[in-house]
Amino acid sequence: MDPVSTATVSPSGLLLAGSVAALAASLWLLLPKASDTVASRRLGFLLGAVALVGFAATGRSLGCVGEDAVFLTVAGIAVISGLATIVTRSPVYSAIWFAMTLAGVSGVLLVLGAQFLGVATIVVYAGAILVMFLFVLMLAQPSGMAPYDRVSNEPMLAAAAGAVLLGLLTLSIGRLSAAEPPACCRMPSRAQALAAAAAPADGAATKDDESTTLIAPAMAGGDTGDANEVAHLGAELFGRHLFAVEVAGVLLLVALVGAIAVVSRGEATETDHRREGR
Amino acid sequence: MIPATMLTNALLVGAVLFCLGLVGILTRRNLIVMFLSAELMLQGVSVTLVAWSRYHGDWGGQVLVVFVLTVAACEAAVALVFVLQAFASTGRLDASAWQALREENLPRVIDHELPADDRVVPTWPHLSPAGVVPEGDDSRSLERDHV
Repeated sequence: MDPVSTATVSPSGLLLAGSVAALAASLWLLLPKASDTVASRRLGFLLGAVALVGFAATGRSLGCVGEDAVFLTVAGIAVISGLATIVTRSPVYSAIWFAMTLAGVSGVLLVLGAQFLGVATIVVYAGAILVMFLFVLMLAQPSGMAPYDRVSNEPMLAAAAGAVLLGLLTLSIGRLSAAEPPACCRMPSRAQALAAAAAPADGAATKDDESTTLIAPAMAGGDTGDANEVAHLGAELFGRHLFAVEVAGVLLLVALVGAIAVVSRGEATETDHRREGR
Repeated sequence: MIPATMLTNALLVGAVLFCLGLVGILTRRNLIVMFLSAELMLQGVSVTLVAWSRYHGDWGGQVLVVFVLTVAACEAAVALVFVLQAFASTGRLDASAWQALREENLPRVIDHELPADDRVVPTWPHLSPAGVVPEGDDSRSLERDHV
């Protein structure tokens, strides 16, 4: 099956092209420009909604959008807030829209069954990283709406590039769902393989090896939507990936020390300048 | 394990978030909004990784997202320090304030026409005066009526 002819001939291809055009026009209208009016922004929102529905319909006709109402709701929240994040003129509102995106993404992760990551996204991102962004905004935002928040670099080219990239990704995802599962998917997954390998090892009396007994049930189930999801993820994280966890800890420490060092060095040079000025 | 339709659903959401973040980081000029756009791209990649992880019943994708969270925290801390330093030296959060670092063959960014500031200044309620007029009005100069 030739993907190009599929894209140009079939109605889903036409729908996809229309969605890409609508998204590009919507992004171009919504991004901050000198020629903005209220009417153009409203038209941009309308076109954005049309593009969103168009992409969902394209995915549906390509056979890759389900009917899970909860998923569609949280995904819609994430996508609409993500759009608002990049087009809002005030950076503070942008950060708050990003918090909304995080809530949506957290919902998506929960629907997918990744309970720990869903909660961690809220706690780490919205609770820590985003608050840090807001602190910096309060420290650094000049009063009034800055002129550089009301213009953007090459909005037309960037909107077209982003929309075309999204169209290509949608097309490849649609082909992914239409195609036969590749060989790697038909093979038993690593989890099942390990579970199969661990099954005879149970009889071989490895009770003293705690990591094996901890990980094996998680692998055997292969289902991360169970009640012990966090325990299984923790066993995997602190079992197979223990060294990476230690490296991540060192990375956090280095970032902390580096951030403090840069700030204090900046303050030192400022006082030096003041002393020289005197 | 999740069904294939759920996988492609999540992949589509991840793709949309990634592309929106890409457009944001290409166009916006505020350094903070550029970093927010980068975080948006990270969110898209995280959704994709978790979807594949659940589809294959393998924990590797979710473990990778844990490390993405860690590195994003480090990156935000270090990057925001640099943003603060940049603001201290130029007084702006404008990426174009650093265009002296651009390539030689690129034109200089000049703001030919700036849009009018069409903010609607809110009308604050007027309270009837009561009690003693406080002395000193210095604190009001620090207030901002908008963000």
